[in-house]
Amino acid sequence: MRPPLQKQLNILDYGLRSLWQKKGRHLCVFLIFSGVIFLLASFQFMAASLTRTAELLLATVPDITVQQLSAGRQIPLAEESVAHLDSVFGISNMSPRVWGYYFDERNGANYTVIGSSTPAADPLLESLLVSGRYPVAGERAEVVLGSAVISNLDLQERNSFSLFRPDLSRISLQRVGVFRESTNLLTADLIVMSIDDARDLFAMEKHELTDLLIQVGNPTEIPTIAKKIAETIPGSRVITAEQIRKTYEAVFSFRSGFGAVCLLASLAAFVILAFDKALGFSTEDKQEVGILKILGWQTRDIMRLRFYESLATAGCAFGLGVSLAWAHILFFDGGLFRFVFLGWSVLRPSFDIVPFIQGRDILLLFSFSALPYLAATIIPAWRASIVRADSVV
Amino acid sequence: MKNEKPTTELKRGLQIELCDVHKFYNQGQENEVHALKDINLEIDPEEVVCLRGPSGSGKSTLLCLMGCVFGPTSGRAAVGGLQLQRMPDEYLTRHRRETIGFIFQHFNILPRLSVEQNIVLPLLPLGISPSQQKQRARPLMERFGIIHRKKFKASQISGGELQRLAIARALILDPPIILADEPTAHLDSSRSHELMDYLVDLRKDGKTIVLTSHDPLVTEHPVVDRVIDLKDGCIVSGGPPCS
Repeated sequence: MRPPLQKQLNILDYGLRSLWQKKGRHLCVFLIFSGVIFLLASFQFMAASLTRTAELLLATVPDITVQQLSAGRQIPLAEESVAHLDSVFGISNMSPRVWGYYFDERNGANYTVIGSSTPAADPLLESLLVSGRYPVAGERAEVVLGSAVISNLDLQERNSFSLFRPDLSRISLQRVGVFRESTNLLTADLIVMSIDDARDLFAMEKHELTDLLIQVGNPTEIPTIAKKIAETIPGSRVITAEQIRKTYEAVFSFRSGFGAVCLLASLAAFVILAFDKALGFSTEDKQEVGILKILGWQTRDIMRLRFYESLATAGCAFGLGVSLAWAHILFFDGGLFRFVFLGWSVLRPSFDIVPFIQGRDILLLFSFSALPYLAATIIPAWRASIVRADSVV
Repeated sequence: MKNEKPTTELKRGLQIELCDVHKFYNQGQENEVHALKDINLEIDPEEVVCLRGPSGSGKSTLLCLMGCVFGPTSGRAAVGGLQLQRMPDEYLTRHRRETIGFIFQHFNILPRLSVEQNIVLPLLPLGISPSQQKQRARPLMERFGIIHRKKFKASQISGGELQRLAIARALILDPPIILADEPTAHLDSSRSHELMDYLVDLRKDGKTIVLTSHDPLVTEHPVVDRVIDLKDGCIVSGGPPCS
């Protein structure tokens, strides 16, 4: 091996050994640093996992969703309004939908109910199922359930269950399909049934619907068609898939940004602590530097030694913090931050978060944690390295 | 400049030569100290010289100057062929590593390192591989009878072994000059004798040795060729005039 490289390895080896032998002194900084990175990484992974899951699921959202408003609140849309849209050029498909929330009093949870006229026809929706199928058009009382609904209703192997209409009469339903756990963010609390069953459950009129789902042949035409629909149906709210995606993104970005700012403040406090601690190096440290220098170590060798020590501390703390954060998301569903991101979950059934990690997240975390730490230790490292060699004579 | 080692010999054949040397600490400041005053000194190869003087007389400063820890504030100084004045710290350090072996009053051994690790410390910045480090350390540990302690931490060995470890470390790069600062100050009589015996051996190996000491056991030892007395930063006896 070439001497310059061997020299770096020798100094690195000495630094690592030195860290290990003085581990008691470094443990406190190491643990605090790991903890801060753990919190920061958990937040980042949680936001990334939720955003990714939402992105995947929103691929199934129709190009345009139309709702009817009255006095700023949503009201059922009359089916005859739909007939007016035949005149709008560019619409390739329209399907009515009933969307509502069913409150399960016993479990204190809200389920999202979607009554669709043709769920089985959509291949994207088909991919969301882990088993079974969607209700077939014309068949009544068949439902597809999210995992949290199955768990809350304690269905286990049973397929039959019943829900209550507003007049407290029962409607019997049959499970025919189950959503994948990887889609839990949007499907955990979901019950998909035929549109007629949904109207029956919510006691709606026979031709009423809550939303109209529209597919457009040419995606570039979506904004124009949305504008035309809004003009055709007075008092309507027209939502494009892009708007929904941006809403989700904004919600998670805002929450992760808010959390990140709080955590970065902790990180800054830690960096100041690390700087302060490194500045006040002990008599023992000072003597060691003096001995090394009088034995022929250059000032830059001492700086390298201190840099390698800081790098090793930052690297190990980063590895530990990130690993713990990953485990936190993987095994504990991000329990610490779950309610920050999913603030409405008091009434929503619980669900598992699907971990998602990207290289850029790791890079971002490293840039915001390890690099500030290294930067904070440069001046103390330089101060340590200029200890005079004759201090030990 | 970066890769060339500037060498200027003041007088051929001398190991150490100091001419009109002054050394100030904190020059120009309120706490200025004039530590060495008009020092003229010549030391031949293989000579054993002892610096003697009361506390504050400048012994340690002179030893550091000879040890290439710093250059003179004024005057000319050459150690092992290198002229020290206005020499960048990088060159002084490199020259110190190649030319000087230090034995300290308190040995300055790192207690958390093993005996072997302490001995090879000067080799680490040279880019010498761990196997070669061990190869170089082994004969020294055998010579000084500490081979059986090589894996022991320095904090776990006896005072005598610590002393031999310090000598072994000073010799790991086979330097021509050995500087020892009050080497017997904290040793009992038998260990002091033992140390002097080692110095006799080192002289036989052709080393130039400079010691600082008050101890008569050192100053009157037959191995010591010359005793130089210092007082208030000046040589009061034992140093030849600068020619």
